[in-house]
Amino acid sequence: MNAPLPREWDSLRQSRQRRLERAATLGFGKEIPVDRIIDLLEAVIQPGDRVCLEGNNQKQADFLSESLADCSPERINHLSLVQSVLALPSHVDLFERGLANRLDFSFSGPQGARLAKLVQEQRIEIGAIHTYLELFGRYFLDLTPNVALIAAQAADAEGNLYLGPNTEDTPAIVEATAFKGGIVIAQVNERLDKLSRVDVPADWVDFTVKAPRPNYIEPLFTRDPAQITEVQVLMAMMAIKGIYAEYGVKRLNHGIGFDTAAIELLLPTYAADLGLKGKICTHWALNPHPTLIPAIESGFVQSVHSFGSEVGMEAYVAARSDVFFTGADGSMRSNRAFSQTAGLYACDMFIGSTLQMDLAGNSSTATLGRITGFGGAPNMGSDPHGRRHASPAWLKAGREAAGPNAIRGRKLVVQMVETFREHMAPVFVEELDAWQLQKVMGADLPPIMIYGDDVSHIVTEEGIANLLLCRSPEEREQAIRGVAGFTPVGMARDKRAVENLRDRGIVRRPEDLGIDPRQASRDLLAARSVKDLVRWSGGLYAPPSRFRNW
Amino acid sequence: MNAPLANRKSWFEATARARIGGLLDAGSFVEFLQPAASQPSPHLAQLDLPGAFDDGVVVGCGRLEKMPIFVIAQEGQFIGGSVGEIHGAKIVGTLRRAVEEKPAAVLFLIDSGGVRLHEANAGLIAISEIMRAVLDARAAGVPVVALVGGSCGAFGGMGIVAKLCSGIVISEEGRLALSGPEVIETVMGVEEFDAKDRALVWRVTGGKHRYLMGDCALLVDDDLAAFRSGAAEFLTGWREAGPSLAALRSSQQALENRLAAYATYRDGLDVWAALGVAQPDSVPLLDSDRLVALKKGLPT
Repeated sequence: MNAPLPREWDSLRQSRQRRLERAATLGFGKEIPVDRIIDLLEAVIQPGDRVCLEGNNQKQADFLSESLADCSPERINHLSLVQSVLALPSHVDLFERGLANRLDFSFSGPQGARLAKLVQEQRIEIGAIHTYLELFGRYFLDLTPNVALIAAQAADAEGNLYLGPNTEDTPAIVEATAFKGGIVIAQVNERLDKLSRVDVPADWVDFTVKAPRPNYIEPLFTRDPAQITEVQVLMAMMAIKGIYAEYGVKRLNHGIGFDTAAIELLLPTYAADLGLKGKICTHWALNPHPTLIPAIESGFVQSVHSFGSEVGMEAYVAARSDVFFTGADGSMRSNRAFSQTAGLYACDMFIGSTLQMDLAGNSSTATLGRITGFGGAPNMGSDPHGRRHASPAWLKAGREAAGPNAIRGRKLVVQMVETFREHMAPVFVEELDAWQLQKVMGADLPPIMIYGDDVSHIVTEEGIANLLLCRSPEEREQAIRGVAGFTPVGMARDKRAVENLRDRGIVRRPEDLGIDPRQASRDLLAARSVKDLVRWSGGLYAPPSRFRNW
Repeated sequence: MNAPLANRKSWFEATARARIGGLLDAGSFVEFLQPAASQPSPHLAQLDLPGAFDDGVVVGCGRLEKMPIFVIAQEGQFIGGSVGEIHGAKIVGTLRRAVEEKPAAVLFLIDSGGVRLHEANAGLIAISEIMRAVLDARAAGVPVVALVGGSCGAFGGMGIVAKLCSGIVISEEGRLALSGPEVIETVMGVEEFDAKDRALVWRVTGGKHRYLMGDCALLVDDDLAAFRSGAAEFLTGWREAGPSLAALRSSQQALENRLAAYATYRDGLDVWAALGVAQPDSVPLLDSDRLVALKKGLPT
C-alpha cells in the first residue's frame, strides 16, 4: 500500500482566509468606503489571479472596473480576466497598464478595434472567444474566478444583494466564485435597510461598496420603429408567412435588429390577419424588447423569459407579470444563463441577422481590424443534438432535412439579411473575412458566428431559401445564390438550377408565398414610432431620452 | 384604444398620392395635368438635378363625402415639397379654376419647407401668386382648407399660405411656422434654437402647440381617415365670410396681445403653463381627443 500523498486539501480556503485577514488588518469590514476601494482591491487580489469583472452587453460593474484599472501594476499584475464582455475603455486599460495579460471572453463590441490592436502588439493573450453558455460552463470547470467584481442594485446592512431587473450574469458568476474559495465584491447603487427581494444571500458576498453613480446599463434592445424600412416589412411578411406560419413556431428567440423588430410589430396586424394569433410566437426567450409591446397587448404572447432587462421597460414588465418573470415584490428577474439554456434547448427557432455569409451558409459578424466575439447567438443559432423532446415545428424541420423516418427533429435557425448592408457592402461573399482574421489573430479557428450546417433558412428581400430541403452542397450553394440578389455572389447563380430549386419549393419568391411586394407598407407596423409604443403600453414604457422626440 | 392604433394609415408617412387616396371618396379623384401632360422643372434640368414629372405637387378634383372638391397635394419627398415655378403654377391654376367652377372647397395638402431655392425668384413669385390665388378663391366663396401633417410641415412661404387659408386641420406630427428650426439655428445660433432637439422643435412648432394657441381649427390623429373626417367636419356649415376690416383689426389685436403675453418664453412648456394647462409635461403624450378636451377646459 502506498501512503497517501501528503498535501493540503483546503489551500483555496486558506488563501481566501489570508486575503480576508489582509483586508481586516487594513480596518475593512463588509462595507467599504468608496474612497478606499483601491486599498481593498490591492489587499485581496493577488498577481496571477483569475478575475471576473462583471459586464455584458447590458449591465456593467463599471466603477469596480475603473477602480481596478487604477490599482498599482506593481501590486496587481498577470491577471487573467474571465468575463462575458470586454466593453468598457477601463477593461482595455487593464491590459494597456500592465495589470492583466490574458483574456477569456465572449464579446467585445465597441472595444473590438482596440482589442485587435493589443493582440497584434502581443500585449494580450486571448485564451478563447466563447459563447456566454460556454464561458459560464467553464466558470464551473477550469476557469473559476478567484475574485468576482459584480454589480448590484442595492445591498442591506448584512450584505444581502438585490440585483434589480438586470439580474443577468450575476447568479452564475457568484455561484462559481463563492463556492470555490473565491472573493466576491459588489458595487451597489444604493444601501437600503430592507431589500424588497434578496437575489444573492449575504454569506456569498464578502464586500460591498456604494458606487458614486449607478452602474451603467446600455439600452441595447430598443429599436425605433420609425427607422424600419419597407424592405424590412417585406422580409418580415415573408418570414411570418413562409416560416412562422408553416412550421407553427411557438417557442423562439429573436436576435437584435430592425429585421426582427419588424416581425414583432407585424404580429398584431399582418400575422393576426392571417389568423396566426395563438398559433405562433407564444413563448419567448427574449430581452424585453419595446417593439414586442403591441404583440403582448394584443394577446399574442404568453410568456417571456429574459437574459437581462431593458432600460425603460421596468414598470411595463412589472405590470405584466403573467408574461414576464417577476419576483414576489413585483420587479423583474432576468437570468442570462437560464435564458441562454432556454434559447439553446427549449426554443424551436432562432432568427437573427449577420454581416457576412458564405456559400456554405457560414455567417460571421467579424470584420477585419475588429475582434468582436459572439455573445449568445451561436448557442441559440445552433441545432442542439442533445435535445430529445418533440414539438411540431422541430419534427417538421427534422423530417424536411432527413426524410419521413428522421430519428430527431431540427431547430429552425433562420438568417434574415438584406443582400447589401450599409455602404453597399454585399452580405453574401465567396469567403468570410473571418478566415483572414483567424490568421491575424493566430487563432485555432475562424470566428464563425453560426455554422452553415446549422442554418435552416435564409430570408432576403429576394426570397426565402430552405436549406433543409437541399440534398447536396451544390444545391445549398445555388439556393444561397438564388436569394443573394444583385451581389456578385447572387449574379453568379446558375439560373436554371435556381429555377429548378424554385420548382421544388427550396427557393421561394414573395409571389410564390402569395405576397405582393407592393403591400409591404410601413402602415402594417402596429407602431411606427417610439411614442406609439408608449401609447400601446398605456404609458408604462418610459423610453430613454435619446429615443424621445417629445 | 389599441386596435385602432394598429389600423391607422399614417398621413405623416404617406406620399401625396396616397394621402389623396385616403382623403377623397374612393375612386373619385381625377388628376389635372396627368403625367403625360405635365412637365418637370426646366430650372432643375439646367442644374443637372433630377426632376419629377409632377414637379412635386398633385392637383385635381374629386369628391369628399359626395361634395365636389378640388385638391392640391404637395409631395414632401420631392425636394422637401418646395415650390418651384411649375409647382407653383399648378397650384395657382387649380385655385383660379376653383374661382370659375366653384367646387365646395379646395383641400390644400401642405407638405413643404417653402420656396425651392434652386429656382430663386421664380419660386418666390410663385409663392406670392399662390397667396393671392388663395385669397381670390376665398373671396369668390370657395373655402380653402389647409391639411398639415406631412414630414416637411408648413414652413417659409407655405407657412404664410397655410395661415391665409380658411382654416387649418393639423395632426400632432404636423408643424407650422415661418422660419424652419434649422434656419433659425443657422442664422441666430444654437443658443437661440437647438434644431437637433426634436422634442423642443415639436413643442414650439408642432401640431399640439399650434392647436393650443388657436392657430388651427382642428387637431386630428396621424391617420388618413382622421384627416378625411376632419376636413369634412371643418366644411360642415362653413361659409366664407367676405373680407372685413373689423375682423382684420381684431386679429391684429389678438396677435399683439399674444406677443405681449408670450414673447419672452423659450419653450412650449412655458407657454402652455401660462395658458393655464395644469400639467404641461403631460401634453406631449396626450392623444388628440384628450388634448381637444384639455383646450376646451382652458380659461379663455
